[in-house]
Amino acid sequence: MTFAVETQQLRYQAGKNFALTDVNLRVPVGSIYGFLGPNGAGKTTTIRLLLGLLRAEGGTITVLGESMPAAYVTVLGRVGYVPDRPHVHPSLTVGESMELHAAFYMRWDARWAGELQRQFRLVDDRRVGSLSKGETGKLMMLLALAQQPELLVLDEPTDGLDPVVRRDVLEAVLGYVSDRQASVLISSHLVHELERICDWIGVMDRGDLMAELPMRDFKNGIKRLYVTGAPELVGETPFTILSRAPMNGSAEQWLVRGWEPEMRGHVESIGAVVTDVIDLDLEDGFVELLRSFRDKR
Amino acid sequence: MFKAILKTQWKWTRLAVFLAVVVAFTMPLLSMNANALPESPRTLITNMQAWGAGYALLAAALGLLVAVLAWSSDHRGHHVYALALPVARWRYVLLRFGAGIVFLLPAIIALGISAEIATSTHPIPQGLHAYPLALTVRFAFAALVAFAVFFAISAASARAAGYILGAICVVLVAQFLTDAAGLNWQIVSHAVDILMGYPGILAVFSGRWTLIDV
Repeated sequence: MTFAVETQQLRYQAGKNFALTDVNLRVPVGSIYGFLGPNGAGKTTTIRLLLGLLRAEGGTITVLGESMPAAYVTVLGRVGYVPDRPHVHPSLTVGESMELHAAFYMRWDARWAGELQRQFRLVDDRRVGSLSKGETGKLMMLLALAQQPELLVLDEPTDGLDPVVRRDVLEAVLGYVSDRQASVLISSHLVHELERICDWIGVMDRGDLMAELPMRDFKNGIKRLYVTGAPELVGETPFTILSRAPMNGSAEQWLVRGWEPEMRGHVESIGAVVTDVIDLDLEDGFVELLRSFRDKR
Repeated sequence: MFKAILKTQWKWTRLAVFLAVVVAFTMPLLSMNANALPESPRTLITNMQAWGAGYALLAAALGLLVAVLAWSSDHRGHHVYALALPVARWRYVLLRFGAGIVFLLPAIIALGISAEIATSTHPIPQGLHAYPLALTVRFAFAALVAFAVFFAISAASARAAGYILGAICVVLVAQFLTDAAGLNWQIVSHAVDILMGYPGILAVFSGRWTLIDV
């Protein structure tokens, strides 16, 4: 598998209270990779490191096969970036912003930019500073898409947008990806949004990349098991026990990853019985994963 | 690329440039009109030298405004837009710098034209000479120096700007303390001499700024 983004042992210290520690992130080429984590987890910092906006203190970063930040000029020409906060000059009009942006990108598609402008209903001579949050989000997405990037890096692109605008923006991204086979790294703390569009997921918390797996594994693999008669020491299991919580009597609640129905036999072989298996949706899975990860620390 | 930068920067700078053009065009004409009937050549030279401070101040103000306005929008967005562009950072700085220099030109040209008109339409006492070109060239250099200095400060981080401000404060506090201790140390005066005297970085601002001289 080749990767649009790959980091190895990436480290960065921001002040006294926050650090990225040995982040190994891999975004497969052609995938829509959801970068999930609570606020302050380090998603934006990681993205800024990937794009050379910050300097890492250790580790390596490869984006579209090029080493970062050494090759930032080449890489940034192939990456469409929508930051978490509006970065477009507020005193320029929509048309001027597009003109300025076009001057820096060799592959700027003026015709398609015009189409997106009509689709997003962005008026040419409106000042960026006077646009609503939704319109600003659309403009930033337009700028990122019309440069025809091989990789889209979207940092909370729909945060604070109403459902209609959010749908417009995500549809534009999905349309682009299906047309051009681009890769997407999209960070968000809106779990359901990522569930709909992503095929890979990375979960970050407090500067650690806790999990990175295909979305289907994440969705299907995390279960809540109700177990009775389990011994204190379970030993090796074919699935991962993320957490164990006692209930009434000998009953326990297990949070597991990698569960398959035929694994009931293994549980019975250690003298326990699985009384119920609950599928967790992505949000529950995310929250439980986060909780178990924090408990372990 | 330069055209796009020039166009956007013009939007942020045009008011300052327009004001500078008006003032630069007015000053030589006003200075000559105010001294249309001088009591003596010496009085005329003294009066014209008094206007000199105005040219120096205008050059400094023009450089300051054009430099600060070149970066203000980038500062507001924490430079994220600029840093995410596929252009070498030194090149982006040069583009902004080049655009700034272009915006110094209208005021310089206005001053040159006005100085030429003022000196050619007013009688100059015998023994004195008009120096419209020399004044314009000096003004251009001064504006360029001010622009370069303030551009570098504006381009730097808030911390770097803080260091510069801190250094100025240290000099002022040191002067205050030595004065209070009864020591006759001219710290501020020395600092000003170093900056303003040849070959100090601001030497172009000192000396004679006069349209009419011997």
